Formats: sequence, structure tokens, C-alpha cells
Amino acid sequence: MKNTIYFTTAILLAAFFSACNGNLLETIPTDRISTEIYWETEKDATYAANSVYRYLDGITIVDYDGLTDILHSNIPFYDNGTIERGDYNSNTPKIYDQWVYLYKGIRAANNFLENVDKVTTTNTTLINSLKSEMRVIRAYLYVRLVMLWGDVPLVTKTIANISVGQSVTRNTTAEIWTFIGSELDACASILPLNQTEKGRITKGAALALKARVLLYQNKWLESANAAKSVMDLNKYSLYPKYEDLFSTVGENNVEIILDKQFIKDIYSNNAFQYLGPYSQKNANCNFVPTKRMIDSYTMSNGKSISDPTSGFDKDNPYENRDPRLKFSVFVKGSKLPDSKIYDPTPGSKTLDEVGSTYLATVLGFNIKKYVNSDDLSNISNCGINIILIRYAEILLTYAEGKIESDQIDQSVYDAINSIRQGRNDVKLPTIVSGLSKAELRTIVRNERMVELAFEGLRLFDLRRWKTAETEIPGFVEGMTYKNTSGAYVTIKLDGFLKIFDASKHYLWPIPKKEIDLNSNLKQNTGW
Amino acid sequence: MKKNDPKQRHRGRPALRKMLKIMKLTTLLFFIALFQVSAKSYSQETKLSLKFENETLENVFSKIEANSEFSIFYKNDLIKNSKEVTGEFKDALIINILDEVLKSENLTYNIKDKLIMIVPKDVNGININSQQQKSVSGKVTDQTGASVPGASVVIKGTTTGVITDNSGNYSLSNIPENAILQFSFVGMKMVEIATEGKITINVKLEDETIGVEEVVVVGYGTQKKVSSTSPVSQLKGDEMARRPVTNAQQSLQGLAPGVTIVDNGGSPGRSAATIRVRGITTLSGNNDPLVLVDGIEQRIDDINPSDIDNVSILKDAASTAIYGSRAANGVVLVTTKRGKKDQISINYSGYVAMQEANNNPKHMGLEDYMRYQNLAYTNVGMLPLYAEETIQTWVTSTDRIKYPLPNVWFDKVYKKAPQFDHNLSISGGGEKIQGRASIRWQEQNGIVSSVFNKINEARVNLDFNPYSKLKISADLNYRQNYSRNGSTTFTLWHYLYHGSQWAVPRYPDGTYGISKQGHSPLLYNDMAGSDKLNRGMLVANLKFDLEILPHLKFNTQYSLRNDNNVQKIFNNSFQVYDYTDKSKLLKNVDKNTLNENRDVINEITLTSLLNYERIIEKNEFKFLAGYSEISNKQNYLSGYREYFYNNDIQSISMGSDNNKNITGYDSEWGLKSYFGRINYIYNEKYIFETNSRWDGSSRFTGSNVYAFFPSVSGAWRISKEGFWNKSNKLFNELKLRASWGKSGNQAIPLYEFYPALISAPYTFSDKLAQGYLQENMSNADLTWETTTQTNIGFDSQLFKQKVTLSFDWYKKITDGILLSLPIPGVIGLNAPKQNAGVIENKGVELMIGYRGKSKQLSWDISGNVAYNKNEVISLEGTGPYITTSSVDPMTIRAEGLPIDSNWGYLVDGFFQTAEEVAGYPTLFANTKPGDTKYVDRNKDGKITPDDMTNLGNSFPNYTFGLTSTLKYKNFDFFWQWQGAADVAVRLSGALSEMGNQEGFTHEIYTNNVWTVDNPNSRFPRPTKFSLNNVQSSEMLIYDGSYLRLKTLQLGYNVPATFLAKTFVKSARFTLSATNLLTFSKLNEWNLDPEFPSGRAAYYPQTTIYSIGFNFQF
Repeated sequence: MKNTIYFTTAILLAAFFSACNGNLLETIPTDRISTEIYWETEKDATYAANSVYRYLDGITIVDYDGLTDILHSNIPFYDNGTIERGDYNSNTPKIYDQWVYLYKGIRAANNFLENVDKVTTTNTTLINSLKSEMRVIRAYLYVRLVMLWGDVPLVTKTIANISVGQSVTRNTTAEIWTFIGSELDACASILPLNQTEKGRITKGAALALKARVLLYQNKWLESANAAKSVMDLNKYSLYPKYEDLFSTVGENNVEIILDKQFIKDIYSNNAFQYLGPYSQKNANCNFVPTKRMIDSYTMSNGKSISDPTSGFDKDNPYENRDPRLKFSVFVKGSKLPDSKIYDPTPGSKTLDEVGSTYLATVLGFNIKKYVNSDDLSNISNCGINIILIRYAEILLTYAEGKIESDQIDQSVYDAINSIRQGRNDVKLPTIVSGLSKAELRTIVRNERMVELAFEGLRLFDLRRWKTAETEIPGFVEGMTYKNTSGAYVTIKLDGFLKIFDASKHYLWPIPKKEIDLNSNLKQNTGW
Repeated sequence: MKKNDPKQRHRGRPALRKMLKIMKLTTLLFFIALFQVSAKSYSQETKLSLKFENETLENVFSKIEANSEFSIFYKNDLIKNSKEVTGEFKDALIINILDEVLKSENLTYNIKDKLIMIVPKDVNGININSQQQKSVSGKVTDQTGASVPGASVVIKGTTTGVITDNSGNYSLSNIPENAILQFSFVGMKMVEIATEGKITINVKLEDETIGVEEVVVVGYGTQKKVSSTSPVSQLKGDEMARRPVTNAQQSLQGLAPGVTIVDNGGSPGRSAATIRVRGITTLSGNNDPLVLVDGIEQRIDDINPSDIDNVSILKDAASTAIYGSRAANGVVLVTTKRGKKDQISINYSGYVAMQEANNNPKHMGLEDYMRYQNLAYTNVGMLPLYAEETIQTWVTSTDRIKYPLPNVWFDKVYKKAPQFDHNLSISGGGEKIQGRASIRWQEQNGIVSSVFNKINEARVNLDFNPYSKLKISADLNYRQNYSRNGSTTFTLWHYLYHGSQWAVPRYPDGTYGISKQGHSPLLYNDMAGSDKLNRGMLVANLKFDLEILPHLKFNTQYSLRNDNNVQKIFNNSFQVYDYTDKSKLLKNVDKNTLNENRDVINEITLTSLLNYERIIEKNEFKFLAGYSEISNKQNYLSGYREYFYNNDIQSISMGSDNNKNITGYDSEWGLKSYFGRINYIYNEKYIFETNSRWDGSSRFTGSNVYAFFPSVSGAWRISKEGFWNKSNKLFNELKLRASWGKSGNQAIPLYEFYPALISAPYTFSDKLAQGYLQENMSNADLTWETTTQTNIGFDSQLFKQKVTLSFDWYKKITDGILLSLPIPGVIGLNAPKQNAGVIENKGVELMIGYRGKSKQLSWDISGNVAYNKNEVISLEGTGPYITTSSVDPMTIRAEGLPIDSNWGYLVDGFFQTAEEVAGYPTLFANTKPGDTKYVDRNKDGKITPDDMTNLGNSFPNYTFGLTSTLKYKNFDFFWQWQGAADVAVRLSGALSEMGNQEGFTHEIYTNNVWTVDNPNSRFPRPTKFSLNNVQSSEMLIYDGSYLRLKTLQLGYNVPATFLAKTFVKSARFTLSATNLLTFSKLNEWNLDPEFPSGRAAYYPQTTIYSIGFNFQF
């Protein structure tokens, strides 16, 4: 009898405990959203589109210039230094990371385009605008891919399974340019001229990107026409203060055509920390301007400093120069965000002193664009928007397109001169008409380099001009200063030789990891 | 600045506090002992005055209880027919009263302290208490006739007893008639002898033969070791707690074959030791064995080593299959100590230890370093950094404030650190209740002052036997582990080696010096902040054992585990001013930040078992059927704020309102399992066993939820065969074993099958724009990894059971490995886990033990060797997968190679001439004579990653251990050797950079680098800011094999004669040292051999010296 009681109790006990957890094996996560329940409302569409904007370039856009003659990677053991030295290969992590990042953005855009029509809404204007915004972002990312690698797989639908991903092939550059062109044309006709929310892609952005894309293809006249269509929108103009273009007060100004938007605390960047001088809270100064960059700024009279009549004063090398020099670069005597005076001269005993540590600038210059004193309090939490396309570029694209297509007329001079004179704080002598194509080419190229310095365009300009092998190689040089015995010394990094091998360096290698997974991907020549 | 200096705040205090704590504990112990002594005399001293008139015995007993502190126990049946009692007592002793009231009954009594037990008289009608008590004496000897000193002789059922003297003699008085004496000695079988009126009893104790009657713990039960069909390594808690370890896994090192513990240092409370049973079976996820403490899954770090009774390590599939999907990496079963009947004992054990760092790399000498740097600069065409006169001034100067040495951090930052451990336990019980309670207090100072660890824990294990057929066990374990580390942004370990050259550690006025790169490990240690982690763990366990029918038992266990981790990571703000110019701010970290994390895990385990055991003549059957459920819920919350008023105001609400952040998540998983086992033994000779488990896991979906894990095994005890005993004198026992089975691995992140969106906001017009994004690819087809293992081996005992020998061969194949195979980047999502790939582990294990004994001396030696060969058999045609950084350790996962083999270039010495450079492909354009000559393996005229090759295992192929105990009279001596072989380690960072990036420059480079005059140097030419010679190559690979004297211990047991008059039953003192002596190629780098590949930027292993105490009361 007793046994029966025990037995029954035990069975009941066991049954009780087992019954507690009927759904034990069907756990539902609460920390993420299922794709199955998504794509129902208009809100879902907007939110999905918002996240794709994250794939636009941020402050690391400077890296592209960092791989050219105008900047030097101050942290030599990072991949940027390796690429600068020409020592990179298909295993270099940066190459792979960049590849993956771009395709992640493309996938996000594709995913949006495939799913957005599931949303029930009557607001077709919104949906159509969002679709076009995504297509422009996708095109923007493809421009990067083509310019970095040449032929790349053109993925316009999400790849659902791995085996499909392992069999894609490289489309020709021409195919991709065509795709980008038709996409931008289509979107430009749909997108509104003005978006309520600043930072959204507009008609102007699509047209401006188209101008850039055509320039990259050396389709000179077409690019000039595209640039003209942006000019004709009568929406954009040069911002009166070059000095403020890259500061918080200059955000969303009339010159900005496309930017990546940031806001402190919520979606911030680390621009100050990334670029700022070491003395400013141990900022990292990832890249520092080279002598080549500094020397490209003319005297305020418009003459090159190498011109004996320019009035260049070796003892005050940064005085009476193109004002954009001091707006873009910290040079000896510049006021730092913390109100101290920048002095990197060896022996100055400041934290920025060249040679005092490998963390401070090794060349005696630091980038000033995007390094704002209002971010000094927290240098890794910056809200500054990063400009991706601005009107000055359009003017220069117009000029270059016209020059190269032999359609040199007054509008070319006007475009260039408006950049040299069109602002309150940049007043350089006008370029007087009557110059040859070659002379104008030199001027417009130098103007691009100076006006758009550190904005991520130089690498691609050198690639399309095919001048990288003459511009890039050589020992890295920095500031010239008077040493204790009164002699002028120019800093030269003898141990750091920039290398550009024209036989292969015009394109990056396809990442080895990617080829390992997909034998259809053939490596670029030379790698 | 002084305000923030932790050193100043606590100066001189800790020692005093510790002293007080020790004193308090001692006092407590004293009172407990005193209490016990006084309790014994209660029955002899208490006098009662009582009067009874025709009262039932029941009333009599109630009156006694009412008038005294006695409690009287009896069964109602005994007194229901008793006669009524009349009598009067004045100031009578209890025994007088009881003798009188029970004189006409067939009853007698037992008095124990204040408890009186009424029991029937035995058949002869003799009342044991009223009879005259006798003395017995005699001698205890062993098999060889040698006397056994220190053996204990105890009257069964009491705590009365003595310990034999140096000649093995004993004498015990006041022994009741018909008492049974128990003779016991460590390592020998206990003998029970009834006194039966004898005056002299001599006893011969036999060695406890290992294995024959030994019981081992296996999955959901126990087995006699002789009838086990699996290679189970069982370790006694006492063996493990021998050296002063902070956690249980360290104490397993070297003791069991096939169990590899790699102690990668790790700061106290955050141990980085890993356990691997028979190699690495999976590429991603978890290679840790399943650890169950009394049936509850736990971290092995969370067990008090002193609470451990034994540890079983299940290695082959026959023994692990019953744990199904969690058992692929082996199973570690920990059983804690429990109270025993009739043996109340109080035990104190503790130690005081001193720790010292094991990684103390030596920096190049001052002059050597300066000249070396000049060489590096000139080698790359730059001007020498130091002029000759600077060098002279610097070297000859005695002013190290003005002319500091290049790197003195190890001396300044590392210090000897004390460690204290106290364990107090009480155990014992009666018929119905047995219990054991223990508390532990441990405090461990780090070898750097920013590190500290403290453990407080308590465990109560109770067993109730309300009815003969029911046993209920209730256990409770609570543990608090507080550990503090230094700043997480400025990690001291990194800056000991990197970016810290040429700083004065501290100036005379206390100002910190910082290096030109702006760093100081000492500053970071003292001022940069702290990472405080409070791990709380509460385990409650209730277990019912019920005998439903004869041979049929039901058992159900319900347990709860709560992990409650609170972490505060506070990174300080601080400023460093120049020593000479106090207005000059050299380093300004103006933002202090707090990350506060809460991690709460609740796990409920329910296990029910049905056991049937039957012996029918020569057939022994055992059946087990079981059901188990695990439900695990986790809640994580993390908050961030910055800009606190100062570094001491560390409450999260006191941070700035700007840039604050809170994140967190909830997650849960469940496991539902059915399992069973059948054992059949015929005639103690032929043994058959099968185990299986059907496991369901919430980590998978659809038809993959459930999986089946079977196993079969058998053994043949040849030595039991008739033909064996007569013909073979060598083997006393020989058993052949074989097993085959499957186990699984489900340790993958949750919800991998679930395509999901995560929050990914953007911003427009300076306003938040919410966004959602899919980042990870999902894989609905995900299923279990399955490990199939075959094991063949034997257990034997030789030479009159003096030698034990076991051998095993195994082959383990893991299929469908859950792997984050890289997927094409063009897909645009992060790779999901996939079931891809096959890994094989093959190996042998050998264990040999010897036990010897002469008159005064006994010794035993036990050695084990294991070999495990790991190979990635298949990655489904993909791969190889190579980690991409070339300056940090590179490893490869490729078919045909061991998992994570070191990868890099082969090296053919150094280029000697410019012609040689011109005539051979180079990796770098600016290669010069003296640079490393990387080998063009594929001879394609280029050095590319295709020229890289396997540079050796990152996990040892051989592991071995040797322990030996020697006992002489009251002394014992223990040592343990332990080691590993066939493993490669890779140096990186400052250790390998040769001063290139202003890092720590090891003295090994002194006069040992390539120059024109020294072309046969060991190292290439030094350079500045170039990576030419630090590419992943065999240059930077070192043989990580080692042999070390892990533990050395001398013990002394205070002779029983000394203790006879005290309340102390036994006392033992030990002196020990851990990691005392090491043979390793890494000695020349002053690195510990268990150094993990990399930059050595971690809390190092330590050498520990300790004094231990153990008292029993």
C-alpha cells in the first residue's frame, strides 16, 4: 500500500514538473525582429531605407586621399601604410573589408527594393522616392567598386543562397557603368528637388553623381552636360565661407548636394579623433598632409611658390598663401581647437613636435577639415556631417569636361573663377581667358586637388588621369624648418618610400578570400 | 592627484585586516570545539530530582525531558506494553534513573550528549551501559608485518577512538561489551572486529587495492570500476585540493590522461585556463567539456575545490552518449562531499601563499639599446638618433630622473602578492539526517595592484531519511566572487610592452612620468580605472530517492541555478603634468566613463530516473530510464554614462545626461531529453552496456529539433577466467574494453535559424531616424554536430596489485561541424553557422601507477601520457581559412592540417649581399642585406601569401603528468611534473618587433642581430618603422614544449600522541610551491611555457609558494 502511495506521488511529481514547460523547445527571441513580420506598413519601408544610408562613406572617406601623394599614413603599421608602400596584396584585410562593406550596402538596398512592394500604403510618392534613394545609394556603392577593382560582379537582386554567391562572375566595367547611368537617369526623374528631411537623396544628388560617373568614364562632354543640369537646377551655390564648410555651422548649407549625416550621441562619428593633431587629447592623426599638398597651395597672388616672383618667404612659408591652406591644414602657427598654437617644429617641445613620438605628426602638418573645436570635449562623439558631393566639385567637373572635350568657352573660366573668387573668404586672382587646353587642364587639376583636398576624390582622379605613377612614388616629405644652426631642413622620411606600380596598382586585387570561395572570379592582372 | 592614488588610500591597512580575520576564525573554531567538550559531560554532571507514581514510560520520559535538556527517542512499539513505574529520585544521575525505570523492561538505552535513545536489549539481555567496561589494546600492522603508526581505531557508532602510536600500538579503554572496533588507515582497507570480550586485538590491514572495489561516478549513477566498460578518470577531491589553486580546473592539470588544461594565465577570478578532453572537436563554438556538479550544469570555476569529493572525467562515447547533445567534448562530473552517519567532525583547512609573476622579460641594457636604436635608424637611411656624446652622458649618468632607463616597468609594476584561503566545514549526522556545511573565504591579491579577487562561499548538503525507502537530499550553494581588474581602455598589459619606452616611472614628488608616446603602465595600473565584476551564484538542489519496489528505484532531482553578475567598468579621468613644468599638461584624459552591466541567468534542471537492478544467479542486470529538462533564461542589461563629477562618484545616475546609452536583451533556450542505459554482466566476466539519448533543443527548428545519440560497449575480464589465475601470476586483473558511440554539440549562438532584423538607426536633419537591417544570414537547416567515437583499451593490475596499468586508443570523428564558413562577400551578409566539415582526433592514453611500502616508508607514483592527433578532414571543399593579419599570429583551417595551425613563410636565413637580394624574390621592395629571406616555396618568382605554409600546431599533441607521494613516518612529500610537447607558439608585437616601433626590446637581441660583421646572427638586421622582418614566418615561431615541476609539497602530520590531550583530532601542516622549475625554450624570453601565441599582453602565470594548515576537531 505504502509503495503504491510513493509510486503515485512520484509519478505525479514527475508529471507536474514536465508539464511546467510545454513550450520549452519553441523559444521566440525578443531582442530582434523577424523578417517574416516585417514589410507591412509604410513605417517598415521608411525604417528599412533609413538603415541603408549607413553605408554611405563616413569620415574614412579621407582614406582614399591617404593612399595618394597628398597625405601620408601616420600610423605606418596599419593597412593604409602598407598600401601606400605598395606592399599590399590580395590578403590585405583592408581590401577585403572594403569589398564586403560595399556589398553589404548593395545587399541592403537590393533587399529594400525587393520587399518594399509588400507594404500596404497609398503613399506612392513616398515609396517611389524611397526606391529611388536606394537605387542612388546602390549606384554610389558601385562607383566605388568599379573605381577600386574594375570589373566586379553586378548584383542587383539579393543572393538567397550561398551556392549562387559562389558562382557569380565579374561583369565588365562598361556593363556596370551602363547600369549606374541608367539607374541615375531613372532616379533623377523621380526624386524631388527638395526633401523635407535634410540628408535624403534628392534629384540634385542623382544628377551630381551622374556627372561624377561620366567624368570617371572620361565621357567629357556628357559629364559637362550632367554638371550643367545640376547648375541649372538653380538650387546650389558656393557657400560664402570656405572656413565653415566643414564645421557644424556649415551643415546643410547651399553647397551640399550629398552628405552623410551624423548627430552626437545617437549616430556619431569620430572625425576629430581620426584626424586631429596628437596634442588635442591624443587624437590619432591617422593621416597627415605632405609637402606635396602644402606646396600646391599658391600664393594669394595666384603664383606658385616655386615661382621666384611669387613673394614666397621661407621664414614665413604659410603667410600670404591661398587662404584655403589654413582652412584645410594645421600649419605652424595655426590656432588649435584648444586655443593653443600649433607648433610641430622639431625642438618645439610641444606634444605635436615632430619626432617626439611616432603618434604625433611625422611631417609637421595636420588635417584641419572636420576637426572642430566644438568636438574637443569628446573627440570620439562628433556630430559633424561628412560631405560626399558639393557644388564646387560640380563646377570643376563642368570645367574639366568642357576643357577635355575642347569646348573651352567663357563658361569654363567662369566655373573655375567662381571657385577662386566666389566666396567671401577665398579671393584669388581670376584666371584670364585665352589659355591653352594643356594650361587649363593643369589649372583645373590643381584646383580639384586644392579645393577638394582630403574629401576622398584624389585617388580616383589620379586613377582616371592615369598619372598615379608619376604623382605618387617617392620618399614622403614634410615641413621645412630652420634648425638650431640656422639651416633650412625639410623633413624627409627616408625609411618610407611610396610606391605605385603602374602595371598593377591602378586596380586593387580581388580579395583572396573571395576568390577562394568562387573560382569564377579571376584576379586582376599583376596580382 | 594624490586623492586618486589607491596606494595611498590603503597604505599599511590590508595586513592588519587580514590578521584580524584570521583571529576571528580561530576564535570561532575554539568555541565550536569547546562546545563539543562541554556537551559530552552533560549526562555525567546533571542531577535530577523526579517522582513517578504509577506512570507509563511515556510519561516518565516526558517528565525527564521537561526537567532537563535531554531528548528521549524511542519507537512507540517498544513501550506500548510496558509496566507502570513508581519511584522517587533525588539529585540522581540520568543513568541511575534510567536503569531504575527500565529494570523490569526488556529495554536499555544509549546516551549521546543530550540525546537518549531507548533500544531493546540484545538477545543476551545485556545492557551495554550497565555492564563493566573493558580495555582493549593491540598492534596494527600491514601486510608485510610492519607496524602502522597513525592508524585510527574507533568504536563503531561513536566518536570515541585513538590513533596508533609510532610502533603501531594502541590502547582503548571504556569499551562496551560487544562493541565493534574499526581500524582504518589511508590507502588501506578498513577492518571491523568485534571485541567479544577479548583484551588484545592485533590487526593486519591490507592495502586498498585500487580498482577492484572502487566505485566510479558515471552519467546518472555509479558503477564498480571493475565493471566499467569506459576509460573513466576519477580523481579524489583530496588529490586535487593539494596545491593552492584558485579554481578547480587548474587542479586537474596533469592528473588525468587525455585531459589537457592549458593555463593561459588570466587575472584572479577571470581565469583563462581551458580544459580540452581528447583534443579539439569543433572549429567554432564551444570546446569546453560539459561540467555537472551533483547533476547541475555549472562553470568549473565556480566550485570550491575543498567541497569536491571526487571528479569523474568521461571521455569515450560509451560514457558520454547519455549526455547526448552536450557531451561531444567530454563530461566532467563533480560530486561534492556529504555528511556521514555518526561522525561529527569539524575541519579547518587553509593556506597562505605568495605569488610571483612568471613573465618577466628582460630589457636590453641602456647602452646596448641606444646603440641598437642607432643601428636601426641608420639601417633605413635615417640619421642615428643618439649622438655619441649623448650616449656617453646617458650611460655614465647616475641621475635616472634626467636620464631614465629605457624600460623598467616589470620591476615597477609587478609585485609579490599574497593569497589567503580558509575553509571551514562541519559534517556528521544520525540515522535520519546527515549533513555537511562548509564555508570558504579566499582573498587573492594580484601581482599588480589593480587586480584583486575575493571569494566567499557556503555550501550546505543535507540528507534526510524519513523512511527506510525514501531519501531526500537538499543542497544549497551560494557563492560570491568579486574580482577587480584595471582600466579597460588603458590596458596595463599592453603598455608594459608597447609605447612605454624612456619614462621615469615616478618622480620624487610622486608625479608619474610618461613615455614619449604618452603612456605609462604604472600610471594606468594606479589611476586609469577599474573593472569590477561581482559574480553571484546560487544553486539549490532537491533530490528524492525512492525505492518503489525491491530492485526498482525512482529518483527525481529538481535544481535551480541563478547566476547574477554585476559588472562596473569605470574608466577614470586623469591628468598628467610635466615634472619640471607643472603648468604643462602632458596627458589629459578628461572623460571618465562607466559601463554597468547586469547579467542574470536562471537555469532550471529537472531530471527523473527509473533504475532497476537485479542479480539472478550469475546474471547481473541494470536498467536505467530517464527524462530530463533544462530551461535557461538570460536577461542582460548594460548602461553607459560619462563625465562623472569625479572618479569616486561611480553611481550611474551621477554621469552626464549627454551621450548616455542603455542596451540589453533577453534570451532563452531549452533542452528536453529522454535517455536510457542497459548493463548486463555475466559471471563478473562479460560486461555489456548500452547508452542512448534522444535530445531535443530549442536551438534548432523543424525536423532538426530532436537527435538520437546511441552507444554500445563491452568488456571482458580475462583475469576472471578459470584458465587465467592458474597460469598467470603477473596480472592480478586484466580487463579488455571496447566502445562505440555518438555524442553531439549544440553550443551555437541562439536563433541562428531565424532571419532577423536588428536596430540600425540613421539620422536626418539632426534627428534620429530609426532603421532596421538584416546583418546575419540565417540557416534553417542547421543541425547538431555529431561526434562518433571508438575506444579500445584495457585496465590491469600487476605484481600483486602493486602496479596498475591502463591503456586506451581512440578515434573521434566530428561531422557536420557548426562552422561560420566564410561566405562570398557579394552576398552582403555575415556568414551563418553551417554544418560543414569533419574533424578527426586520434590518440592513445597510457596511465601507470605503482604503490610501494616498506616498514617506515610508503610511496606511490602515477604517470600518464597522452597523444592526440588532430586533423581537419573536410571543409566540404572550401577553405583554407586563414586569419588575415600578418603581424599578429596567423592560423589556418585547412583540410589535412590540425585545426588552427600556425601559418606563415618559411625562412632561409638572411640576405647576405645586395646581389643575393637582387637574385631572389622579396616580399618588400626595399629589402636589403640582413633582412629575412622569405622562401619562395612555389618558385613563381614572387613572394606572395601562396608561399606560406604550416608552421606547427597551436595545441599540444602530447601531454603528460607524473605525480609521486612519499610518506615517511609523519612526513609526506609530494611532487607533480607536468608538461606538453609538439606545440608551436608565435611571438608578436614588441616581443618580435625588435625595437622597430619603440616597443619593449628584449635583451635577447643584444649583439645578436645581423650586421656586416655579424652575418651569422640569430636575428635579422634591426630597422625602424618597417615591417620587413616581422611578417608571419618561422622566424617568430618557437617550440612550446615544456616540462615543469608543477607542484612540490612537504607535509607533516602532528603525531596523535601530541594531540591526545587536546580537542584536536588531527593536525597537518604543508609547505608547497607551484610552477617552481620549468624546462622550456621560452625560458630565454623569460616567458611562461603556457604563453599563448601573441603579444604577451595578458595577466601572466604565477609561481606560488604556500604554507597550508589542516585541523580536524
